[in-house]
Amino acid sequence: MSTTIDKRQAAPAAPAENRHEARKRRDRIHGWSFMAPFLAFFGLFLIWPLIYGVVMSFTGKSLTGANSSFLGLANYAEALGDADMWHSLGNTLYFTVISTVPLVLVALLMAALVNMGLPAQWLWRLSFFAPFLLASTVVSLFFVWMFNPQLGLINDVLGKVGLAPVDWLNNPDVAMWSIVIASLWWTVGFNFLLYLAAMQNIPTAHYEAAQLDGAGGWRQFFSITLPQLNQTTIMIVILQVLASLKIFDQVYQMTGGGPGGATRTIVQYIFEAGFTGYRLGYSAAISYIFFGLIVVVSIAQFAVTRKRSA
Amino acid sequence: MHGAREASATGLSRRTLLRSGGLALSGLAAAGMLSGCGGTAQAAGAEQLRFWHLLSGGDGIKMQAMIDSANASQQAYKVLPTVLAWGAPYYTKLAMASAGGRPPEVAIMHAARVPGYAPGGLLDPWDLDLLATHGVTKDDFAPRIWENSQLDGKVFSIALDSHPFILMYNTEVAGKAGVLGANGQLETITSGDRFKEAALEMAKVTGKHGLSYGYLSDGAQMWRMFYTFYRQHGATMELPQGQKAKVDRDVAVDVLEYIHSLLDGKIATASGDGGTAIAEFAGQGSGMLASGVWELPTMQTAKVPFDAMPIPTLFGTPAAYADSHAFVLPHQQNLDEQKRSDVYAFVAQILKGSLNWAKAGHIPAFQPVVRSEAYKNLLPQAHYAGAADIINYDPRAWFTGSGSDFQSYFAENIQNVFLGRTQAKDGWDAFVRRLDTLLSKPNPV
Amino acid sequence: MATTLTAPARTSRRTAVEPSRKRRKPLSPARIIATVIVAVLAVTWLVPFAWATVTAFKSETEAAAAPITLVPKSGFTFDAFAKVLQQGNIPQWTWNSLFTSAAVTAVTLVISALAAYALSRIDFKGRKVLMTVIVASLIVPPPVLIIPLFYQMVSFHMIDTYWGIILPQVIAPAMVFVLKKFFDQIPRELEDAALVDGAGRIRIFLQVVLPLSRPILAAVAIFVFIGAWNNFLWPFIVTNDSAMLTLPVGLQTIKSAYGIQYAQNMASALLAALPLILVFLFFQRQIIKGISTTGLAGT
Repeated sequence: MSTTIDKRQAAPAAPAENRHEARKRRDRIHGWSFMAPFLAFFGLFLIWPLIYGVVMSFTGKSLTGANSSFLGLANYAEALGDADMWHSLGNTLYFTVISTVPLVLVALLMAALVNMGLPAQWLWRLSFFAPFLLASTVVSLFFVWMFNPQLGLINDVLGKVGLAPVDWLNNPDVAMWSIVIASLWWTVGFNFLLYLAAMQNIPTAHYEAAQLDGAGGWRQFFSITLPQLNQTTIMIVILQVLASLKIFDQVYQMTGGGPGGATRTIVQYIFEAGFTGYRLGYSAAISYIFFGLIVVVSIAQFAVTRKRSA
Repeated sequence: MHGAREASATGLSRRTLLRSGGLALSGLAAAGMLSGCGGTAQAAGAEQLRFWHLLSGGDGIKMQAMIDSANASQQAYKVLPTVLAWGAPYYTKLAMASAGGRPPEVAIMHAARVPGYAPGGLLDPWDLDLLATHGVTKDDFAPRIWENSQLDGKVFSIALDSHPFILMYNTEVAGKAGVLGANGQLETITSGDRFKEAALEMAKVTGKHGLSYGYLSDGAQMWRMFYTFYRQHGATMELPQGQKAKVDRDVAVDVLEYIHSLLDGKIATASGDGGTAIAEFAGQGSGMLASGVWELPTMQTAKVPFDAMPIPTLFGTPAAYADSHAFVLPHQQNLDEQKRSDVYAFVAQILKGSLNWAKAGHIPAFQPVVRSEAYKNLLPQAHYAGAADIINYDPRAWFTGSGSDFQSYFAENIQNVFLGRTQAKDGWDAFVRRLDTLLSKPNPV
Repeated sequence: MATTLTAPARTSRRTAVEPSRKRRKPLSPARIIATVIVAVLAVTWLVPFAWATVTAFKSETEAAAAPITLVPKSGFTFDAFAKVLQQGNIPQWTWNSLFTSAAVTAVTLVISALAAYALSRIDFKGRKVLMTVIVASLIVPPPVLIIPLFYQMVSFHMIDTYWGIILPQVIAPAMVFVLKKFFDQIPRELEDAALVDGAGRIRIFLQVVLPLSRPILAAVAIFVFIGAWNNFLWPFIVTNDSAMLTLPVGLQTIKSAYGIQYAQNMASALLAALPLILVFLFFQRQIIKGISTTGLAGT
C-alpha cells in the first residue's frame, strides 16, 4: 500500500485523471483483496455445494457412489408424489404453528414482567436465558428424562395431583407437543431478550405522558408498549417461523421422528432419504423443494416488512 | 504519525484480532497435522482396531466381556468398541462412515442386510485362506448361514450367531395343562388348531392367557411370526429388482388370518406390545412366549421354569425366522494390512469363544462350539439349536433385513390386520403394493 | 453452518438489557403479584437443570427407582460423573468442540471483518453485485446444503477431520452485514486523517477501524463461538469416528453396553452443559449485550 502512495508522490505532475484512475485501480485491488478470503470460503462451501446440489438432484446418485445417471426431473416428480415427504412437511408446519404462538407470547410475558424493574432482575434474566446456551443434545437428554413414562418428573407430578400419566414421547397425539415444550424451554430466552431490549427502547416520555393523562399500568401496556413492539413482534414471528421450518435437532434426538413417523420433520426426511436410504440424488431434490418453501416464506417476510416501513 | 494513535489504538480488539489470527493459523496448522489421524494417540505397539456394533442391554454386556477377554489375551491388537443405537441410526452412520473412507476396521451387521448393502462397494470380501490360517473355515458354519453370507461367490459376512424366533414355554403351566410330551418337553404340535387348543388349555391354568406375543408398534415382531408361518407353508417370497414382488397371496392371507385368530384375548392378548408380553411370561401369567432367543436371559433371571424350542411346525415344513449378527469388513480408502490381518485374528478369537455368546440365548454360528459338550449341556439352548438348520432370512433386497424399512412397511400395513381393523387381504395387498413401488425404483446401492 | 442473521446494529441507545432501572418504584400490589409470577416462571425454568442435577448425583439404582425421590435415600454420590469420565470420551469431545469452535470463531472474525470493511469503506467495481449475492445467500437454509456438502467432504477426504467440521462453518454472511453496519457508522474523518498521514488501507483497518470496533467484534465472536459449539447437524453428518465427534454429537451417542444409565446420562449432559454455562456466568453481561446487539438469529 505504501508503494502506491510513494508512486503518487513521485509523480506530482501527473494529470488528475491518471490519479483518479490509479486510485480506482488501487481501490479495486484493495476491495477484492479484502473480500478474497471471505469469497474463497463462500464460493467453495456455499455457492459450489448449492449448485452441485441442484446437479445431484437431477441424478440418481447414491451414498455408495453408484448410479450417477441423469434422471432429469424424475426425482422432483417422485418427491412431489411421495406421501412420506408431504407427511414430514405437514409435521413441520404443524410444529411451526403450535410452537410459534407460545414462543412469542411467553417471551412477551417474560419481558413485560422483567421490564417492570422488579427486584432480582439478574435472576430472572439468568433463568430464562440460560437454556439458550445449551446444545440441543443436552436439552433433549434433560427432557427425555423428564418425560420418562415411569420415572419421569412430569408424570410424577401429574400423579401427585391426581392426573393420569402421559406417554409423552410415544403417543403419536402427544409427541409433537412434548417437543414443543422442550423447544419452548430451550429457546424462549432469546425472544425474551429481544422483546426486553425493544421495550427498554421505548422512550419513557411516552409513559410519563400517559401517566399524566391518568392511564394505569394495563392501559399503558396495551396502548403504548404493545403498539411500539409491533415491529419487533413481526420480526420475531417471522424468524421463529423460519427457524421452526428448519427444525431437526431436538426432534431427531427425542423421538427419532417417531412414533411411526408422527414427528418426523422435513429436514429429517431429507437426512433419511439421503443417508439411511442411500439416495443422495433424491434427497437433494427434496431439499430443493424445501428450499423453495423457505424462499416463499422469506419473500413474504420481505414484503411484509417492506410494507410496514413504507 | 504513529505514536499517540498507536498508544490508544492498541486495544483489546487488535490483540484479539492478532490472537485470534494466531490461533487460527496455529489451529489450521494443527488441524492439518491432525487431519490424518483420528485424534487419539496410538498406544505403543498395539494396533487399534475400531469395532462398531449395535448390541446393548444383556447382549451388550456379553459382547463387552468377549471383547475384554480378546484384548487381554494378546498384545498385538486392542479393540475399541463403539456402540450405536439399534436399527437405522446404526446402519446410517456405518454407511456414512464407509462413504467417508475411514470406517471402523470391523463391524457387525445383521446378515440379512448384507446382500443388499454389499454390492455398493462399501464392504470388502473375506479372504477365506487367511481366515483358515486362524482356524475358521467354511465347514465350521451351518449350510444356511454360510449360504446367506455370500454374494456372487464371495463371502461378505462371517456370522457370529443366528438368533431365531422361537417358542419358550412354562414347563409347570404346560404340565398342568397336560400338553407336555413324554420327555418333559412340549408335545409335538403339528397343526394350527392343535396349537390353539394347547394355548387355551394353558390359559385355563394361568387364568390369563396361553400365549404371550407382543407386536404393537413392532414391525420386526410382526414380521418374524408371519414369515415363520409363511415359510412353514413352503411358500417363497422373491423381490426382484425392477419387477413385481413374487409372493403367494393365498398363503399370506391365510397366515395373517391365523395370527389374528390367536389374538382373541383368550389365547393371547389382543394388542400387546413387546414389553407387556415379556412381563406377562416372566410373571408366569402365560404358558408360552413367542419371541426371539435373546429374551432367554430375562426369563432365566426371572426364574421362570421354562424350556424352549423352535416354533412348532404347524403348516408342514419346518421353518424358523432368524437373522444373524455377522462380522463385516468395511471398505477402507487406505487399507492398513496389519490392522486387517489383526481383525481376522480378533474375529476368529470371538468365534471360538462364542459359548459365552450362547449364554445370551443366541445359537453360535461356529459349529465346533455347537458340537461341543459344553454347549450340548447348555439348556434350554440345546433344545432349540436345531433351529439353525431351518432358518429363513429375509428375502434378499436392498431394503430388507433387521431394523430396515421393510419391517416398518410391514408394520404400517399389517398392524391393523392384527388389531382386526383391516381385512387381511387388504392389508397384505397394501404391503405388496408398497414393495412393488420400492422395487420399481432404481437400486441405490 | 453459520446462523442466518439480520440485524439492526444499535450503538448509542441504552439498548442492551441493562440491570434494573435506577429509580426505585413503590411496592404496589401489582408489583408484588408480578414478582410472584416472574419468580414462579423462573423457578419453573430452572427445574430441568435442577432435576438433571439431582439425578446425576444419585446412584444408578436410586436413579432408576420408582417412586422418584428429590433427595436420594442413599445420599448423593459422584459415581455417575466418575464412570462417565473414565469410560466415555467426554474429554476428547470437549477438546474437539473447543478446538473447532475457536478455529471457526477466529477464521470467521477475520474474513468477515475484512469483507465487511471492504463493503463498507472501499468503493470498488463489483461491490454492489457482491452485496446482492451475499444478501441473497442469507436465504439459503443450512439443511439444504448438507447433502452436497457431505459429498464434497467425501471428495476432499475431509470426513472425520477437523477441517471438515470447521470449514463450512466459517461462512457467516449475516455477521458480515452486522460488521458492515457498524463500520458504516465510524466517522470517515478518522480514516481520512490517517490516509493523509500516508497510512495504507491495511494499517487503517488494523489501527483505526478495529480498535473502535471492539464491542461489535466481541459480540460477533461470542455469537459465532456459541453457535459453533452448539452446532449439531453439520458435525453430526461430517463425523463418524468416536474420537472426532464434537461434544453435542458425542453426547447423542452415549449408549452404554449396559442399557440406559439415567444418572450417567444426566452426568454427561451436565458436563456437556458446563463449559458454556460457566462462560455465561462470568460473562453474562457481555453475552446478553452481544446477543441483543447482534440482533436476531435463526435457531
